[in-house]
Amino acid sequence: MTNVVWSRCRDEDCIRIEGLPAAADLRVRPRTDDLCGELPAMAGTLVRDGVDACFIPRFPFVEDITYTIAVDGLALATLHRHRPDRPTTTEVLDVHPTAIELPRNMLRFYVTFSAPMSEGYAGDHVRLVDEDGLVISAAFLPSDAELWDRTRRRLTLLLDPARIKRGLVPHRQAGYPLQKGTSFRLVVDGGFRDASGTPLRAGSERWYRVGEDQRRHVDPADWVLCVPPGRTLEPLEVRFDRSLDHGLLGRCLRVLGPDGRRVVGSPEIGSEERSWRLAPRAPWAPGPHQLVVDPVLEDLAGNSVSRLFDRDLTETSEQPRRDQPVKVAFLTQ
Amino acid sequence: MSEFGLNVGNADVRSAGPITFGPEGILFLADNGSAKVFAVDVGDPDPDAGSEPFDLEDVDARVGSFLGCRATDIVISDLAVHPRSHNVYLSVQRGRGDAGQAVLVRVDRLDGSITDVPLTNRPMAEITLADAPDQDDERLDITLPQNGEGEEFTFGERTIRLLRRPIRTSTVTDMAFIDGFLLVAGLSNEEFSSKLRRIPFPFGKEIAGNNLEIFHVSHGKWETAAPIRTFVPYDDGRSILASYTCTPVVHFDLTDVEPGTKTVGRTVAELGAMNQPLDMVAFVQDGEEHLLVANTSHGLIKIACTDIDAQAPLTEPQEPVGVPRETEDLLGITRLANLNGDYVLALQVDGGGRQHLRSLKTAAL
Repeated sequence: MTNVVWSRCRDEDCIRIEGLPAAADLRVRPRTDDLCGELPAMAGTLVRDGVDACFIPRFPFVEDITYTIAVDGLALATLHRHRPDRPTTTEVLDVHPTAIELPRNMLRFYVTFSAPMSEGYAGDHVRLVDEDGLVISAAFLPSDAELWDRTRRRLTLLLDPARIKRGLVPHRQAGYPLQKGTSFRLVVDGGFRDASGTPLRAGSERWYRVGEDQRRHVDPADWVLCVPPGRTLEPLEVRFDRSLDHGLLGRCLRVLGPDGRRVVGSPEIGSEERSWRLAPRAPWAPGPHQLVVDPVLEDLAGNSVSRLFDRDLTETSEQPRRDQPVKVAFLTQ
Repeated sequence: MSEFGLNVGNADVRSAGPITFGPEGILFLADNGSAKVFAVDVGDPDPDAGSEPFDLEDVDARVGSFLGCRATDIVISDLAVHPRSHNVYLSVQRGRGDAGQAVLVRVDRLDGSITDVPLTNRPMAEITLADAPDQDDERLDITLPQNGEGEEFTFGERTIRLLRRPIRTSTVTDMAFIDGFLLVAGLSNEEFSSKLRRIPFPFGKEIAGNNLEIFHVSHGKWETAAPIRTFVPYDDGRSILASYTCTPVVHFDLTDVEPGTKTVGRTVAELGAMNQPLDMVAFVQDGEEHLLVANTSHGLIKIACTDIDAQAPLTEPQEPVGVPRETEDLLGITRLANLNGDYVLALQVDGGGRQHLRSLKTAAL
């Protein structure tokens, strides 16, 4: 009986077939329950190692798969690639927004994990659940490609825009995903897998209430600036008239000093995404400053500084505004 | 290939996204893991093909077996047909998470055999999409890199290498090559916008001013901008039909579009509730150009281009123009490509979740 074992060859994982004749025709296939007839053999090379032959795959062996080894058309052996037990360590760090009440035409959530994650699990493991414990069906935009940041730690979830935009067939037929005056929770269950394929240490959820629609431009003229005294390290605080998008707040606001250069410091997004603070690294220089707002900054319903999420053509107040940064002047003394 | 700026190198693709062929059999491959588009000479070995159909049962299980895994361990992100040999190229993601690997697979249209196209040591070029982090965007995930990536930072007497990766990203949803430009539609993980990038090829420095923003009007009353999910050029590249994540099918004339100016496309169809566009293809039937729209809820939807040209903008929500093809054999189609003048190639998912390549005779559609 020929011995077939997992082994190493040329610093790579391989299947070692002891005493395999040089002229033998060897094929390795993943075993599958699908009734698909004979499937192509796994890509790889056969390397002689003394009297043994080693099959080195072109693509790594996959955990939890059984491989069938056939020689000259006859099954010789099967080998199972075991999945090592890994401790569950990954968890949900944050769900944004942190606002308690969301507009009915809410557009976007962010879920941040403590470690890089695997793609392909969001559709089955993140859901909205209503007060009666029922899943709100077809709430999210179905997408082949999940929206992750480059390190796959922050997942962006869009509510289906077709159900939110007025006038569209899906909006008229299915209505808003969220119902005014109700509560719901966003649930991330423990089955979501991290980058090693390990489930979460625990699931997570956040409750929300649903309020009125939000259908106005984000207008920095409506904000309140609490200006710190000059020559101090006290933070500038900007209070918004509504909750804004957490992801965009992270990059759409900056402050220019009297010399026109950027004030370097530690920005911080406040509770419920209703404020933003900047603590400078060096004391504030006395004189005129500018808060510069990128016009792509959106609120929770996707209305930005420059345009509304969906604009009523009959309302002149809803016309797009200049697609240029908005500058808000303030003076430190 | 030097006339297209391709040089021998390694296309380090992290995540297999949409693919489309450009001039001289150059394949464009979008990598949503690194926000790049690669142009690769696939070196297709086969001679010119005729107009025969090509079908392959269980293509997902076959590709999976070749790659040493189950059908459920792979995702076929897109398909493209080589314009000369008509071999089928599949953009495949094998495995998930840290084990994930992007593979370009070639299916021989003569015998259905499967090989992979190594992406190393191959004539290639690449371009980074211009939504890389703003210089002022301080929100970078910082990790310890492998393979010498990243930048060196000095802390006291220690110098270490750190990799800074942006939080803001864009996912390419579809691409097409028209008249010296690669058009790229994408979906941002932050702002909600309708950006269609127009990237000159051979690749140079991407010119942000070439980006197009196409608005559309619904119900004759509400104007919106939304990410484009899939689009197809027709009329020799003069026109585009685009389908949005919010489901309208919108026409715009590419010759009318000026970068940096506001463009409003003409809504010609809606796909209906709980229905998302998946892919589109243009084909000729009886001398007339037509379009096929694959979508999540119905069979293929066929639209005559003459109907689009003749149609006024929709002022009331309507079912799609043209002829919805609801026959059972056209259900479950997720991707489309022109195989040759007589056939359109479709990737079809059956009721059991198995995926097949099917040739659809254009004369019978």
